[in-house]
Formats: sequence, C-alpha cells, structure tokens
Amino acid sequence: MSKIRTHTVTFPLTRQEDWKETIPRKLLDLQPGLVILDCLDWFLNCTDFQKIQILFNQAGLTIILIQSSIPETIVSASAIGLPATLKIASNEKESKKSLGQNFHINENPSVLFKKGTLRSGESLEAEGDVLLLGDVNPGAKISAGGNVMVWGRLRGVAHAGKTGNTNAKIVALQLRPLQLRIAQAIARGPQEKPLEGFAEEALIESGQIVIKPAKAHI
Amino acid sequence: MSTNTRTILICSGKGGVGKTTLTANLGIALAKQGVKTAVLDADFGLRNLDLLLGLENRIVYTAQEVLEESCRLDQALVKHKQEPNLALLPAGNPRMLDWLKPEDMQRIVKMLSDQFEYVLIDCPAGVEDGFKNAVSASKEAIVVTNPEVSAVRDADRVIGLLNTHSINPVQLVLNRVRPNMIANQEMLSVDDVTDILALPLLGLVLEDEQVIVSTNRGEPLTLSGSKSPAARCYSNIASRLKGEDIPLIDPSKEGSRIRDKFKRLMQTKIF
Repeated sequence: MSKIRTHTVTFPLTRQEDWKETIPRKLLDLQPGLVILDCLDWFLNCTDFQKIQILFNQAGLTIILIQSSIPETIVSASAIGLPATLKIASNEKESKKSLGQNFHINENPSVLFKKGTLRSGESLEAEGDVLLLGDVNPGAKISAGGNVMVWGRLRGVAHAGKTGNTNAKIVALQLRPLQLRIAQAIARGPQEKPLEGFAEEALIESGQIVIKPAKAHI
Repeated sequence: MSTNTRTILICSGKGGVGKTTLTANLGIALAKQGVKTAVLDADFGLRNLDLLLGLENRIVYTAQEVLEESCRLDQALVKHKQEPNLALLPAGNPRMLDWLKPEDMQRIVKMLSDQFEYVLIDCPAGVEDGFKNAVSASKEAIVVTNPEVSAVRDADRVIGLLNTHSINPVQLVLNRVRPNMIANQEMLSVDDVTDILALPLLGLVLEDEQVIVSTNRGEPLTLSGSKSPAARCYSNIASRLKGEDIPLIDPSKEGSRIRDKFKRLMQTKIF
C-alpha cells in the first residue's frame, strides 16, 4: 500500500493571476491525498472557501490545514470548519524580532478560533491567542498564553498571558467577567453595568489590571 | 407511531426547581388534550413522580422488572385513573442505579415509544450517571430553572452537556416566577435568565401556593381544570409543546388587573 501523501499548495504570489484559474491548474498534477493550503495574504471569505473545498474534494484531496497571514481569512476558514493558523510573513517576523524587548513574541504564533458559547463548567485553553465567537457565561473559563479576544459577552473568568506574558490583553464586546487574570495579576470584574456598543479591553498598567475602551489593534 | 414519538427529557441540574412537578402537570395536560402520553421516572434514587400523580398505591411492577423481563411492559405501566391517556412507568428501587446502563434506558424508551406519542422523562438532579442514562434515551429536552443565580448557573451547565449529546431542540421553562419581586428588581427578570441561557422560552410558570397543595394531595393542578395561575401556565406549555401558537404571559402585567387583585383579596385568609 502506498503512503498517503501530503502536498502543499500555495496561492498565486501576485494579484494579476486569478486563483480561481490557477488553483485548479495546480491540482491537476497532484495525486489524491492531504493538502496544506497556503493562502499568503489573499483575502478570502466563506464562499471562497466553500468553492475551494469543492475544488479540492473533486481532485480527491483533503485540506488538513489553511495557512494565511491575514486574520480575516483565518476567521472565514474556521467558520466553515477548516483548521487554520495564522502565519506571519517573513519580513514582518524580522521586524518584530529586531524590537528585542518583547520576549514573549511567539516564534510560531497561532490563533485558536472557536465558535459558540462557553457555558458554566466549560473551559477553553490556548497556547497562543484565542478568539471566541460567542459568549463566556458565568462559571466558564477562557485562558490563553497570549491575548484573549471574545466576540461576545465575557461574564466568566478570563486569563490572558497565563505563561507570564504581562503584555497580553483581554478584549471583549462586553467585558463583565467575574474575575480577570493577566499573567500573575488578578482582579475582580467591574460591578456597574456596561455601556452598550463599546468594546473594552483589560491590560496591565503599572502592575495593575485596568479596563479601557478597546483600541483598534491588538 | 414509533418514529414520530417525541421523547422529551425534563431536566434542570439543580434539585427542587420543579422538574417532577412540571413532568406531572405536563403529562396530565397533554393527556387532557387527547395525546397518548407516558411519563417515565428516571430518578431512581429519589423517585416521587408516582406521589405527585397520586399513583403510588397502584404500582405493582416497575421499570426494573420490565428490564429483567420478569413482566411485560403493559403490566408495569400504571394508567391514570381520571386521564386514561396518561401512563406512568415507575422507577425501580434505588439500587438500580448501580447496574442501569444507557442501553437499558434506551430499551425502555424504545418500548414506550411503540405505544405512545409523547414520552416525558423525569430526569434526576445532578449531572452524574442518572443524568447520562436519561439523556442517552432522549431526543428533545426541556430545561427547568428558577429565577435564581444558582439554578441558572446549573441550568447553563446542563445545557452545555445536552449540546454535546446532540439533543435538539432544547427549550426553557422558567418556574416560580414572582412578578412583584421582578418589578421591585429583587428577582432575576425573564430577560436576565434568557440572556445567559440563550434558549427559546417554552413558558413561564408563576409562583403559586396551589402547587404545594396539589402536590400533597397527589392531584396535579392541571387535572382538576383549576383556574389558578400555575395551572394556566402548565396548560399553555403543553399547548405550545404541541406546536400551538400561544403568547407568553407578561409578568409585569400579571396580577395588576382589578379583577385579579379582588380575587387575591378573596383568597387571603384574614382570620
């Protein structure tokens, strides 16, 4: 029996080419097997990924991983159930290394995506960043080595930078947790009602956890 | 009939929120509306569905004997005296917990669904083996909770577990609602609860002293056609479960009409 093969398929480097034409051409030469698909910096939505999935399936190929350097593409891939990781482009990686100060920039940064609500008693843990599309209910716990991002209401316990990264942040559309932890710091959540329509973030400022209106970038 | 049978788990996580009371009243209400209904007591450790239905003294065989094949199913089923559309399958002795497997539960429910249109399963409190057995045999679920922080928290946990067992749909019944306490913001409001649990609301049940009276007598409120608030709520839930479109009561308007106030005054014992 022959071994199952893993191929790597890469998106066109330039925008002059249309991936809808080049990708099917690339697939012609491949034996059936598994595929890692590198989308580079292409902006792809869920419909694109559905088309891609059909193309690959027709060629007898199964996508085991999507790589991309832009988060939107990762979100789209995760949304239709494809495993995806964020890949920082090589020149960007260089520039971050040269900063020198940030010891905690992960060599292999990855974002864990999950869609759905974390209910009481459930927990979600990630090595790198975590992005949850849903609520964290009271009694549930979300933790990450990097940033915790909740696209929803955070009402449980959140721990960012659990391996000691004091630069980690906790961001949520509605930040009303029972307890917040960033690295070693612990704080109780605020009691007063949140303002509607303002995302907030928690971060460490002079040794203490503070909550502020969320910035446009992590 | 088997494929169309709705097997509905009635669960809550926390104890004492009104699972058994809902099961009994819903069973009677459905039977009254002409639906062949079976209620199954899955709370083997602390059974009391038979008590609430007033059928305790009619039990000869239980689910245990059915599983051991020492009696037939129809021998163990206890028909309700006034509502022959309703039958109870009693729980065996508490030691059943030690050996009962999810497959056993599925076997019992399978047998019941050959004869009935609705099978209501009264789930034990907690999320241990008893709960897992009961879940494995159900297709749908009703989560009962009270407007209290602890009950809501437990319900949330149970809903999470139900989702992992692909139970669908899961609906919510909010029990023991006190409109005046909600108005004074001393109790969680309906919105507070649905906000956290994010489930479709099947119905509200108002706090009602008559529930205690009926429980002690072994005559569910829905049986006598009582006009009490809780009885109305239970009947509405039964109708909604069958797919009828009946608007939810609005707790803020409940009991504020002059007639209601007068009624309440008449019921109050002054001496």
